[in-house]
Amino acid sequence: MTVVAQGSGTLGAIQRPRSVFQRNLNLVRELSITSFKLKYTGSALGYVWSLVKPLMLFGIMYLVFSILLKAGTGAYDFPVQLLVAIVAWTFFTEATATAMNAVAGNGDLIRKAYFPRWILVAASTTSALLTFAINTVLVVIVTFALGHLELSWVSLLAPLYYLELIVLVLGLSMLLSALFVFFRDLGHIWEIVSLVLFYGSAIVFPFELIQTHSIKLADLAGLNPIAQIITDLRHVLVAPDKIPSMAALIGPLAYIPIAISIGVFILGFIVFHKLTPRFAEAL
Amino acid sequence: MKPVVEVSHLRKRFRLPLDKSSTLKYRMTHWRSSSRYRDLIALRDISFDIPTGQFLGIAGPNGCGKSTLLKILCRIYKADSGYARVNGEFSAFLELGVGFNPELTARDNIFLGGAMLGLTRAQLRDKVDEVFAFAELEEFAEQKLKNFSSGMQVRLAFSVAILAETDLLVMDEVLAVGDASFQEKCFDTFSRYKREGKTIVLVSHDLNSLEEYCDRVLLLNQGEIIADGPAAEVTAAYHRMVAEHALAVERDLPSKLERGDPSQWGSRAVEFVSASLIDGQGQTTRRFDTGGPITLDMQMLVHRDVGDFVCGMAIRRADGLLLAGTNTFLDHVTVSSHSPGATVSIRYTVDSLPLLAGGYIVQVSAHDVTGSEIYDHADPAASFHVNNMGGHVGMLEMHGRWQVEQEQDVPTGAFRQTAG
Repeated sequence: MTVVAQGSGTLGAIQRPRSVFQRNLNLVRELSITSFKLKYTGSALGYVWSLVKPLMLFGIMYLVFSILLKAGTGAYDFPVQLLVAIVAWTFFTEATATAMNAVAGNGDLIRKAYFPRWILVAASTTSALLTFAINTVLVVIVTFALGHLELSWVSLLAPLYYLELIVLVLGLSMLLSALFVFFRDLGHIWEIVSLVLFYGSAIVFPFELIQTHSIKLADLAGLNPIAQIITDLRHVLVAPDKIPSMAALIGPLAYIPIAISIGVFILGFIVFHKLTPRFAEAL
Repeated sequence: MKPVVEVSHLRKRFRLPLDKSSTLKYRMTHWRSSSRYRDLIALRDISFDIPTGQFLGIAGPNGCGKSTLLKILCRIYKADSGYARVNGEFSAFLELGVGFNPELTARDNIFLGGAMLGLTRAQLRDKVDEVFAFAELEEFAEQKLKNFSSGMQVRLAFSVAILAETDLLVMDEVLAVGDASFQEKCFDTFSRYKREGKTIVLVSHDLNSLEEYCDRVLLLNQGEIIADGPAAEVTAAYHRMVAEHALAVERDLPSKLERGDPSQWGSRAVEFVSASLIDGQGQTTRRFDTGGPITLDMQMLVHRDVGDFVCGMAIRRADGLLLAGTNTFLDHVTVSSHSPGATVSIRYTVDSLPLLAGGYIVQVSAHDVTGSEIYDHADPAASFHVNNMGGHVGMLEMHGRWQVEQEQDVPTGAFRQTAG
């Protein structure tokens, strides 16, 4: 007697988790793992590229600004300051650039399946965050091992500043991804804004440089959340007693960029929420 | 007991912009013309309930509002007024395999597709082997989805789609896919659901399967429910409707486009002045023969300097079924006009008309090369009738050939070979 191979006839169904929050969280996880995986499959060096990119940027900026233009002269251990800033900056640009397409690039999903739309933004941010987390851990471990980080109790504040960065990025991501569905020019506009932010956020030079130029300008530039986050990260991570915090530089004004980060998040949330019902028809 | 689905006075209207204005430059330069919309009423006033355990079919011609109704039910679209409420858990497959990624392995796609349904990785892990067994894809678990045949993809997608335990299952045209033996399996699954008392909504063009499985069928036409009842009755009503509609359209249609016809819409940067049909003798007519020549003659007036543009035509049946269509861009023909006020004359000729007897409608359109701005669209632009000859059935002349081979000693006269 011969047995003919045949698939099983029935497939029992599984009860979904009762908590909707758990389902959504799980979907965020699956989507972000997928995009993280897809980003690196097929390339020989895979993940290494996402470390090479900020390192290259760091190398170029170090050469041009620190060595040729002597931008960091006098600042404490500027190369390490630059490295910390560039890793954070790379996260900011990559996360916002991919978020731009998080809704518009998933038209098929949006037109054909129902799930809370914020999941797409959360997944895109999470996947950028994965790269960022690994890069940060690597950079912190290596620089610490080489004796370049003077960690102290103040350094425990670092996660808070990273959290502020994530809140800012999430807010911008919601804003950009929702608006991009209706205004495709936003992609180009955001590239220009990013360029302005890169040079305006005291990444390739210490923030004090603006202050030596003009106090007023420094007060204004200090309101930029990215400048504040980067300056404060340098303060708490690299050398708390040798690098001033934003509060030490511009006084109580330093609360404003934190408020802006939270404000951007709230604005992004509201705009995204308002535009969500129109996504499926617009795509 | 509460019905699983409650739909009450649902209305939905789409505003179709005549030109897509999704760039800032366009918004800034055309801010005044933002009112150029064409309203399309998708659902007029729909109300119905689905009691627990009912297998409901939804049928209707293209553009009747079936898909819109389903999308509102699944919370993809928002209704303008009224509501659609689902009491309980539901799974919706407006298409199988939504969320699948061709670059991932079949196994990873199960996790991804399962997550779209609300299932967690831990729950799916124990189930993966069972899914592969059901989909008959055990050997391909680690293969990338892009290497799967479409039949294999559908099998995987269906197997994942039925993984989540639900009170209501919504399916749009999912039966048209897969090979016969797998379709059998799909229907077995539906039958099992039916026995288990699950509620199912099935949208299909396939009236036979609706008749076979559904307890009740809704017939939609132009955004309204025009029949609601046992499958056999509604199916009959549907056939009647199609026949009547075809007759009515044929009677009322203008033979050719007149300027300012209400069937025309678009920005009118380029406008169709006339569209008429010409036979082999160069005469304008509405009657053609299968296999004979037919020429569509379009006269256009340029109002704005648009440079290169695209002119297209399509033939459809009275009930909306699209039969054929093409445009100058697809056929690599350049059409351009640079001076406002100029006229452009375009002819499209088919040497041998492949359509069989019946009434047909021609639509024409002109738009920019990216398709983002419609200059003019006319439907119906013209209509014609194909004479009944030869007795072939259906809509298309296949131009086929029969070949019969017979042993020489077989008595003659059994069959004769004929050429198509």
